[in-house]
Order: sequence, then C-alpha cells, then structure tokens
Amino acid sequence: MDIASRLHSLRGSLAGKRRLRGLAPLLVLIVLCILISLANPHFIEVRNLIRVANSAAVPLTLAMGMTFIILLGSIDLSVEGAVSISAMVVVLLAANDLNTHDYGWLAALAAVVASAFMGFVSGVVQTRMRIPSFMATLGTWFIGLGISVYMLGGSAVRLMDQNLRALALTRLFEVPLAVWVAILVFAFAFLIQNYTRLGRHIMAIGGGEDVAELSGIDPSRVRIAAFTLAGIFYGIAGVLSAAQLGQSNAVIGDGRLFASVTAVVVGGTALTGGEGGVVNSLIGVLIVTVLSNGMILLGISPYVQQTVQGLMIIAAVALSLDRSRLKIVK
Amino acid sequence: MMSDLDILRAARINRRRFMVGAAAGLGVAALPGRLLAQAKPTLVTSIRSLSNPYHAVWKEGADAYAKSMGLEHVTLVSEGNSEKGIADIRAMLAKTGGNMVLNSDPNDTPDARPIVEACAKAGAYVVTQWNKPDDLHPANFNPNYVSHIEFDGIASGKTIAEILFKAIGGSGGIIAIGGTISNTAAIERKKGLDQALAANSGIKLLDFQVANWKSTEAFDLTSGLLTRFGDDIKGIWAANDDMGTGALEALRAEGLAGKVPVVGVDGIKAAVDAVRKGEFACTVTSDPYWQGGMGLSIGYHALSKQIDPAKEPPEHREFYGKALLITKDNVEDYYKHNIDSHPTIDWNDIWGRVTGPIRQG
Repeated sequence: MDIASRLHSLRGSLAGKRRLRGLAPLLVLIVLCILISLANPHFIEVRNLIRVANSAAVPLTLAMGMTFIILLGSIDLSVEGAVSISAMVVVLLAANDLNTHDYGWLAALAAVVASAFMGFVSGVVQTRMRIPSFMATLGTWFIGLGISVYMLGGSAVRLMDQNLRALALTRLFEVPLAVWVAILVFAFAFLIQNYTRLGRHIMAIGGGEDVAELSGIDPSRVRIAAFTLAGIFYGIAGVLSAAQLGQSNAVIGDGRLFASVTAVVVGGTALTGGEGGVVNSLIGVLIVTVLSNGMILLGISPYVQQTVQGLMIIAAVALSLDRSRLKIVK
Repeated sequence: MMSDLDILRAARINRRRFMVGAAAGLGVAALPGRLLAQAKPTLVTSIRSLSNPYHAVWKEGADAYAKSMGLEHVTLVSEGNSEKGIADIRAMLAKTGGNMVLNSDPNDTPDARPIVEACAKAGAYVVTQWNKPDDLHPANFNPNYVSHIEFDGIASGKTIAEILFKAIGGSGGIIAIGGTISNTAAIERKKGLDQALAANSGIKLLDFQVANWKSTEAFDLTSGLLTRFGDDIKGIWAANDDMGTGALEALRAEGLAGKVPVVGVDGIKAAVDAVRKGEFACTVTSDPYWQGGMGLSIGYHALSKQIDPAKEPPEHREFYGKALLITKDNVEDYYKHNIDSHPTIDWNDIWGRVTGPIRQG
C-alpha cells in the first residue's frame, strides 16, 4: 500500500470510529432496554412504555433548552428558578385554591413569558455586564426562587383549572397530552437547531466564538436569544410540572438542574460546546428515564440506585466523548 | 450635563453624607433598643426557610402568639446554612442584650450546642425542636435552656401504617415511599412501618423505595411501581404528605385515585383535602402552628419567672409532643378550625401536649 491510500484508510477508520462514538448513546439505550426487558418483561408492555414517556416529558422539555446553552459552551444554572417561576405564575393565574383568578390557557402563556424573560435577563447580564454564564444564571436561579417563595407564601397552591390538569390526565391515543406536548417541543427544538440561523449561529459560537465573531456573527445577540429560548422551554416544563402534580410550590423544580445537565451530557453533547444536539439530548433523557424506571422494575435497592446512576453517567460520557481530541481535561 | 468629575464629587459627598446619616441612624436605633430591652423581651424564631408550607405555618403560629402577648417578634431564616443561622442568632442576642426568647429548629444537629451556649451566656431563654446532639441536655444549662421538643417518628409511622392496613381490609400488598435515606425522621418513620408490618402478617410490603421527601420523585417512583406490581398494590404508605400527594397524582393518572388509599405525615392542605375526598386514608401532623407559638410560650414562661426550669420534671425538659391524627372521622372539624381559620390554642397550657420523655440513644 502506498502512503496515500494508507492515509486514506486511516482517515476512514477514524471517521468510522467517530460515527460509532456518535451512535454510542443510542447503543447504550438499546442495550439498556434489552437487559431490562430480559430481567422483567413488564418493561416492554405498552402501558409501561407510556409511563416512561410520561416521566420523560418534563426532563425532555428542560433538556431541549439546556442543549442550546451547552452547545454554546455555556451553562445554565437557572433551570430550577425558571421552573419555579413558571409553575408559580401558572398556578396563581389559573383557577387555584389561593385566589380567585381564572385565566385558563392565558395563565400558561404568561408562565412561559415570565420564564423566557428570566432567560432574557440571564443573557443580558452576561453579555452587557460581562459576567460568566455560570454566575449570571446562578443569580437568576436564586432571584427566581426568591420571587416564587414570596408569591406563594411558602405554601403549596393547588391547580384547579381542569383544562390545564388535562395535560396530565387526558389521553390521546392512550398517551397523556403532556407527552404529546413534549414531542411537539422536541420537533420545535429540532427545527430551530437545523433550519434556522439562530441554530447555526449557536453551533458556530460553541465551536469557536472568536472565529464566529470574525465571520460576522454577533455573539451577544445570539447569547441573549439562546438564553431567552431556553427560558421558553423551562417555562413549558414548569407548566407541565404543575399540571402533573396538580399543585405548585416554590421547590417544584428541585433536582431538575442536575437531571437536565446529566441527560444532555449522557446523550453525548460535549460540555465544551459546539458538538451534539437535540437528538442526542432526546436519547440522553430516555437513557436516564429508562434507567430509573428499570431500577424500580428490577427492585434494585434505593441504597444503591444513586451509585448506579453515577456509574452510568461516567460510562456514558466515556463512551460518547471523543477524548483523544481533548488536549486538556479540566 | 455633569462632567465625570462632578459626578464623582457628588457621589463622594453623597457617600459621606450617607455614612454619617447611617451611623446616626444606627445610634438612634440602638439607643431605645437598649432602653426598651429593660422592659419588653423580644421573641425570636429561627427556622430553616419559608419556602416550605411547614415552616410557613410555624411562623404563623409564632406571630399569633407574639400578637396575643403584644411582644415584638423576629423571624430568622437560615436558608439551610448553619453558619448563617448561628450568626443571626448571635446578632439578635447582641441587639437585645440577651433579653429575648428563642424558639429554634436548628438547621443541623450539631448547631444546637453553639446556639444554646450563646443564649445561656447572654442570659436569653431558648427552646429547641427536632434537632440536638444526644449528649446535649437542657438540664445542664439551667435556667436558660428551657426545653427540647420532638415528635415520635416511630409512633407516626406506625399509626398511619395501621390505619392504612385497616383501610385495605387487613390483607394485601402495599408499597412504601421513604424520605431521604440518612435522615432521622425518615429512619424513625420507617421503623414504625416495620413494627406495624411485623404485627400484621396479612400485609405484604411489595417494595420500599425513597423519594427524598419530594412530590415529583414520588410521582415517577409510583408510576414505575404500578408497572412492576400492577393491581397487587392495595395501598401506599408515604413518609410525608408531599410524597403522598405525588403518589396520589400518579394513581390519578391511571384512574386509581380513591381506589388505592394513601397515607402520609405532616397534615399539609393537599393531604387534608385528599382525606376529605377519601383519597388519603389519614395523615398525622406535629402541628407546626402549635410548635411555632408554644416554643416561644414555654421560653417566655421561664423568662417571666412563671416557671423555674430547674424545678420542672425531666419530661418537661426533653419531650415528645402529641401528634394530631387526621382521618375521615375528624377531618371536617380539623379543616374548619385549622385550614379555613386559625386554631385557637391556649398558649398558657404549656405542658398540655407532652406525651413522655424522649428515648435515649
């Protein structure tokens, strides 16, 4: 073999390896499903798959927002604050047991707008005041939490609007409406990522902000738009959460931040930005949800479940991330 | 338009004026504080956070007691930060010159010691609830450390389990949802469940899982358990109401609400409503409204020399309070007096809910 063809085949195998890496999360998901089904055939019953989908609805909606932020190479810690604000707004404006408001779907719209506004603030604070996303969104997290604690007076308020409750309780073709909403949200995110300028610009900035800026992209505007967009997703998730639980309290978003970052990373989107996307996050969410559902089905002791989840995260990242290209691991 | 220099100068003057003004203001504020301190003590509540219904009701009880006595009441919130909790209490001790009553739910067990020591040193009177180290005893800090109050988690866990067993007719499978694994209340309530199970051979515990006190986690957990056990689940035991209501919503999504009874602990409004509708078999509550007001009242009785803590029997110094059981038999009455309005509690009946000394070890 001459040098040229050897080089060619080397490059070919590298590309193959990378493609395999890209498929790793999907393979993990499939293997996981097969293993769990072997251990407990109840897993593949339609009834259970619908339950898995139902559990995945809120995390998926959150992960869609988080994906765009991580693609930028930033991080958004305000998830729990935004969910809390959105759930607070929807429950206080729709029929509830604390006041006499009854604005129905307008309440849900207001909730999404409120959460989007929080994202907008995160974006503006970062770009105009030049504060790293980590700190800026940590700030908006606590601002959001503080406002909803104040508004709810520390209590749990029940959501009485039957139309909003229907998101969780009504089924279309046997599948709860919340799952349909999550599917629409996914489609929306997919469109933005692949068919809009914003999606391409986010990708470009994540790949290399200086290069992107030189090629005429305004990173500040893209950042503000991306964080506002993420806020919209968190807002929808907040409404779904309130509908599922039939109530809202200030800590309704507790634990959601960790879960959404985990799902995005397990799906193969690199924390360094510019690599991965919403399809990866869909798979990541399914891996995490299937794993926790599976552990319940297998009757794994709660004492070891967290450990298994931790191992899973490390394994998935190890499989999906092309570490040979990381010069420094920090 | 002002030039930059003008703005700077104006800012400087403003800042100086502000500092002087602030210092003067503080001086004036501190002065009557010291003087008034002779006359009226300050009531101080120290709790973890106001973002949960439990502590929110606690504060309402404390406010109600303070109002009934015409005393100033201050609520300190640690937000889960032990150092902040202790520092805020020290600041209040300094501000009041020790003329205060503190009712504290220490953020963490070790926090109780520095809190009690600081109060004893300053001459303030303190009551702690829920958390204290085993080797810290009110009797060692006479007369300042008046009492420590807890609620017997084993009894709560056992009581709700027995009511659940009765509700499903004495036999069948149940699932149990626990709190955070390492938490004392969670461990005790589970122990109570285990005792009840040991005494009822007809009941089978299908699975015990934890949902970390959270409604959302209990929701997902219950969905999974419904898949695993299906119709074998006849009842659900939850270590608190928040998780119980999460489980209830999971049942509702499957059209099972009201068919599979749920029990919980805390007496939150959603759970009380569920008891009224027959979806919950029962809940028990430590009555945070009582805890908030009575902790202050016990301390105030000591400060105003109506009782001498050193002469009180041991079961008044470290005791289990009486938990209220809410079932369909008394739920309407409870709802009328505790949820629609505030209960009227005789704040002078300070030992009325003592059920016995706290188990050692």
